[in-house]
Amino acid sequence: MERWGKGILILAMAFLFAVSSFTVVSGQDTIKIGVIGPMKFVQGQGHWNGATMAAEEINAKGGIQVGAKKMKIELVQADSNEFLNVTDATTAMERLVTKDKVHFIVGGFRTEAVLPMQDIAMENKKIFIGVGAAHDELCNRVARDYKTYKYWFRGSPFNSTFLGRTSFVHLATVGAILKGSLNIPKVKVAIAAEKAEWTEPLIKGGETAIPAMGMEIAGIWRPSPVATDVTAELSAIQRSDAHLIFTIFSSSVGIPFARQAGELKIPAVQVGINVEAQKDGFWQATRGMGNYVATMNTYARGVESNELTKAFVDTYVKRFNETPTYTADTYSVIVNSLAPVIEQLGTLDPEKLIPVMETRVHKSCSGTVAYLKDAEGRHLHELRWGPGFLTALGVQWQDGELKGFWPNKWKPAPEAPEVTYKGMVPYKIPPWMIEKYKK
Amino acid sequence: MNLLIDIIISGLISGSVFALLAIGFSLIFGVARIVNIAHTAFYMVAAYCIYVVTQRMGFHPLWGMVAAIVLVTLLGIISYKLFINPIREHHGAVLIATIALAMAFQEVMGIIFTGSYLSVPKLIKGYHVILGVKVFYQQLLTFGAALLILAGLWALLMRTKLGLAVRSTAQDREVANLMGINEARVAMATMGLSVGLAALTGAIVVPLTVLEPHMWMHPLVMMMAVVVLGGLGSLKGSFLGAYILGFAEALVVFLAPMGAFLKGSVALSIMILVLLIRPEGLFGVSFEEER
Amino acid sequence: MGIILYYLRKLLSVIKNEVLVLPSRVVVALFFLFLLLLPLFTEDPYLLRILTLTSIFAILAASWDLLSGFTGQMNFGHALFFGVGAYGAAMLNKYAGIPPWSTIPLGALGAVLAGLVIGIPCLRLRGTYLALTTLAFPIILMGIVFAFPDLTGGELGISGIARLARSRVANYYIAVVVMLGLCTIMWKITDSNTGIIFHAIREDELAVRASGINTTRYKLLAFSLSGFFAGISGGLYAHFMRIAGPSTLEVSMSFQVVIWAIFGGVATIYGPVGAVFVLFPLMEVLRFWQDYRILMFACVVLLILLYMPDGLFRWLRDKTEKECPRCKIRNVAMRHTCRICTAQLD
Repeated sequence: MERWGKGILILAMAFLFAVSSFTVVSGQDTIKIGVIGPMKFVQGQGHWNGATMAAEEINAKGGIQVGAKKMKIELVQADSNEFLNVTDATTAMERLVTKDKVHFIVGGFRTEAVLPMQDIAMENKKIFIGVGAAHDELCNRVARDYKTYKYWFRGSPFNSTFLGRTSFVHLATVGAILKGSLNIPKVKVAIAAEKAEWTEPLIKGGETAIPAMGMEIAGIWRPSPVATDVTAELSAIQRSDAHLIFTIFSSSVGIPFARQAGELKIPAVQVGINVEAQKDGFWQATRGMGNYVATMNTYARGVESNELTKAFVDTYVKRFNETPTYTADTYSVIVNSLAPVIEQLGTLDPEKLIPVMETRVHKSCSGTVAYLKDAEGRHLHELRWGPGFLTALGVQWQDGELKGFWPNKWKPAPEAPEVTYKGMVPYKIPPWMIEKYKK
Repeated sequence: MNLLIDIIISGLISGSVFALLAIGFSLIFGVARIVNIAHTAFYMVAAYCIYVVTQRMGFHPLWGMVAAIVLVTLLGIISYKLFINPIREHHGAVLIATIALAMAFQEVMGIIFTGSYLSVPKLIKGYHVILGVKVFYQQLLTFGAALLILAGLWALLMRTKLGLAVRSTAQDREVANLMGINEARVAMATMGLSVGLAALTGAIVVPLTVLEPHMWMHPLVMMMAVVVLGGLGSLKGSFLGAYILGFAEALVVFLAPMGAFLKGSVALSIMILVLLIRPEGLFGVSFEEER
Repeated sequence: MGIILYYLRKLLSVIKNEVLVLPSRVVVALFFLFLLLLPLFTEDPYLLRILTLTSIFAILAASWDLLSGFTGQMNFGHALFFGVGAYGAAMLNKYAGIPPWSTIPLGALGAVLAGLVIGIPCLRLRGTYLALTTLAFPIILMGIVFAFPDLTGGELGISGIARLARSRVANYYIAVVVMLGLCTIMWKITDSNTGIIFHAIREDELAVRASGINTTRYKLLAFSLSGFFAGISGGLYAHFMRIAGPSTLEVSMSFQVVIWAIFGGVATIYGPVGAVFVLFPLMEVLRFWQDYRILMFACVVLLILLYMPDGLFRWLRDKTEKECPRCKIRNVAMRHTCRICTAQLD
C-alpha cells in the first residue's frame, strides 16, 4: 500500500503541474515582447539582458505612447534550448505566440532552429526580429514569399556575405601591417574554418580574395566546431610557414584554438571571425593565452560607432558587468527599431508597422540601420552593410582587454573619405612573431 | 618524414586520453555489467571541482586534483548506492538511470556555473619540442599517466586480494558469490575505482580543453567505441583500442586536412570494421554462457 | 434497420464484455477517444502542436520497442532510422517535388534500407556490443551529412519543405491517426506468431535456432520493420517541422528514445507510447520552472525507475490487473475468481 501511495502522489503532482502550466494570466495594457534564445548560454543571456535593459529604460519613461494611451513593455522569456534540442525551440516559440500572446518576438540563434521558429511566427503573423542567426536563407524567404514572411526582420548581425566582406578587409589590414613592420615579402595565410555550412562561402571567397590582396594561401584546415584539441591542426599550420591564420569560428572550437596557439607560440597572427573571442569570458577561458587574437565584433568598451554606442555600452557594463555581444542587440531592436515606429503610427498592428519599418533608416547602437532590397527590387528585410551604415568592428585582445583597431583610417574605396570610429588603438603584433621575423 | 612524426605524436596523445577514459568504463562493465553512461559526466564534475579549488579558492592545481578525485569518488559511490544498486537486476533501467544521472549532473553544473566556457590551469606549464613538434608537458603527462595507471591497475588486479575478487566476480558473479566473495561490496569498490579513474582523467585532460556542462557528450562516444573495439571488460583491449582510434584520428587530420571534421566518423567506421571480423572485439571474452 | 440494430447490440456487448472488464482496455479506449475527439473541444494551437509532436515521437518509441524490447537487439542508434526517414522525405520533397503523402513512405523505405545495412553487420554482435556499435551509425551518417553540404545543407539542414497539411487541426489528425494506426499494427505484430518468435529470440536465441527457425531472417525482419516505422515518424517530423537537420541524428535523440521506451516498460508497445505521452508533455509543463526543467526531468526518471524498474506502465498494469494462474486470462485486481474459468485468484 505504501508504494501505491507514492505512485499516486507522483501522478497527482504531475497533474497539478499540468493544470497550472496551461493557465497563463496576461496583462491587458502592456506591449508584450517575447525574448527567445538559449537562456542557459551566453547567447541567450545576451538576448535577455539587452531586452531587459530596453524594457527598463522605456518603462522608466512611462512606456510607449500608443495612440492615446501609454503602454508599458512586458517581457516574456522563452528558453529555446536550441543548441540541444530543436523540437524544444519550436514548442517554446509556439507557446510564446499562442499561449503568452506576445505582440513581438526578438531573439533566436541557431539557424537550424530559427528556420522552423520563423515559420511559426509567420503563420501567426507576428513580427519576429532575429538577433543572432546570420544565414541568408532567413531573409531570402522574405523576397520569395513576401506575403508570408514579411513579418521577419534581421536585427543583428548582417548576413554571412557581409561578414565575409568585413573580415577580408580586416585580413588585408593586418596583412599590410605584417608586411610593413616585419618585412615579409609575401604573406602566407592559413585558413582555419570550422566545418559548418555558413563558413563555405567565406572560404570560397577567401580563395579568390586572398591572392587578389597579394597574399598566398598556405592551406585550409577544417576542424569540427566542437573540437577540444587542435594541436594537430596547429602543428600542421606551423609547418606550412603561415604568417597569418584566417579564423572562421562561431563555436567552442575558437577557445582551444586560440589557447593552444598561444601556448605553443605558433608564429602566426589570428584574424577573422572568432565568436568566442568576442566575449569577456574569453580571457579566462584561454587563461590569457588568447592575447593578440583579433576578431570581428559589434561592441567593445571605449569604442563608439556613433553617438548612441557609449550610453548603451556603459550602462550595459554597469548593469551586467560584462561587455555586450551582438545578441544584446535586442536592446537596439526594441529601443531604436520598434518603439519609435509604434509611437509614430500609434498602433501595434503589424500590417501597418511593416511598411514603415522596412523603409525607415535610423540609428542604432552599432551604426545606421537600413533594410535592403534584392536585385529584383523585392524587400529582403536584410541589414545594409557599408560605411555610413553598419560595418562592425575589428577588435584585438591586448593584455586582458578587448580593443578596437578597425575601422581606423579605413578607405572603403580609393576616392572615398576615410572612416575612423572613436576609440581606436593600433594593432599589436605578438612579440614572438617579431622575434622570429625581425632581422 | 615530418608528417610521420606529427602523426605518431598526436596519435599517441589523443590515444592516451581515450585510454584513460576507456579503462575506467571498461572496468565497471567487466565486473558489474553496468554500462555507465555517466562515466564521462563524473569526469566533467571532477573538472568543475578542480575549477573551484584552483580558481575560486586559489589553491595549487595539485590540491585541486586531490580534492576532485576524493569528492568525485564519493559522489560515484553515493549515486551507485542510491540509484543503481537497488535496480541492478534490471539492465535497461540501470542504463537509463545512468543517462538520467549524467543529465542531472550536467544541469546542476549548468545552474551553478552557467553554460559559459571556463578553463583550469595546467599542472605543468609550457611545451617541449620533440623532433620539431611542439608538445605540451601536460600532454606528455597524459601519456605517462595512461601507462602508469595501466601498470597500477594490472598490479592491483593481479597481485592483490581485492584484484582477485574483482577478477573472479567479473568471470562469474554467482560462483564468486558462492565462494564467499561479497559480490555487492566488490561491485561498489569497482564503481569507486572506476569513477576515481574518471576523476583522475578529468584532472589530467581538462587543463588541455575547455569546461562546459555538456563536455561529457563528446568523449562519450569515442570512449565507448574504444571499449567495444578492444573488447568489453578487457583492459588491455581498451588500451590498444584507444591507440588504434587515436592514430586513426591523427591520420585523418594530417592526410586530409579538409576532412578534419570527419575524424570521429572515420574512427567509428574502423571500429565497425574490426567488429565485423571479430564480433567480441580485439580481446573480448564472449559471454556465451550469459546469453 | 434490423441489421444495424444487431451490430449495435453486438458492439455494445463487446464493449461490455471485452473492454469494460479490464482497466487497461478501458484506458486504451479512452485514450483513443480522447485523442480523436480533442479538437472538438479545443483548437489551442500550442496544445495541438505538443500532441502532434508527442504522437510522432510515440511512433518512434514504439518502433524502438518492436526491435529492442521484443528481440532484445539493443539499438542505441535509433536516431539513424529517424534521421534517414526525415532526410529522405525532405530530399524527395525538395529536389523531386514529391508531395508528403508519398515522400514519407519512401523515406521510410530508405530507413528500411538503413535497417538492413546496419542489421546485416550487426547480426554477429550481441548485447552491449550491439548497443554500443549501433550508437556509432548515426554519428557516421552525420559525418556524411556534413561532407556533402550541397545536398544536405550541412548544419542548416533541408528547410522549406512542404507542410503536412495547411491547418493545425489537420496536422494533428494526420499525426494522431497515423500514430494510433501504426501502434495498433505494431501491437498486432508483436501479438502474432512473428512477435512470439521475436520474444523467443530475446529469451533464448539458441533454443529458437534449435527449433528450426531462421533467427537471422527474423532479426533482419525486426530491423527493417522497426526501421520502417521509425522512418515514418522521421518523415512526419520533417514535414511537420518543415526542416530536416542534423539534430535528428544527434546522440541525445537516440538516448531520448531509449529513455522513453524503458521508462514506459519494454516489450509492451503500449509502454513506450504511454511514456512519450507522459514525458514529452511533462517537459512542456516544466517550462514554468525553466531553469530547473531538465534537472526535474532527470529526477522524475530516476525516481520512477527506483520504484518501478520494469517501467511505469507495466507497474500500473500489474497493480490493477492480475493473471489467472490457470487460463492466463487477465482480471481486475479486485476480483477473487477468474472471470472466465472461475479459478481462485491469489
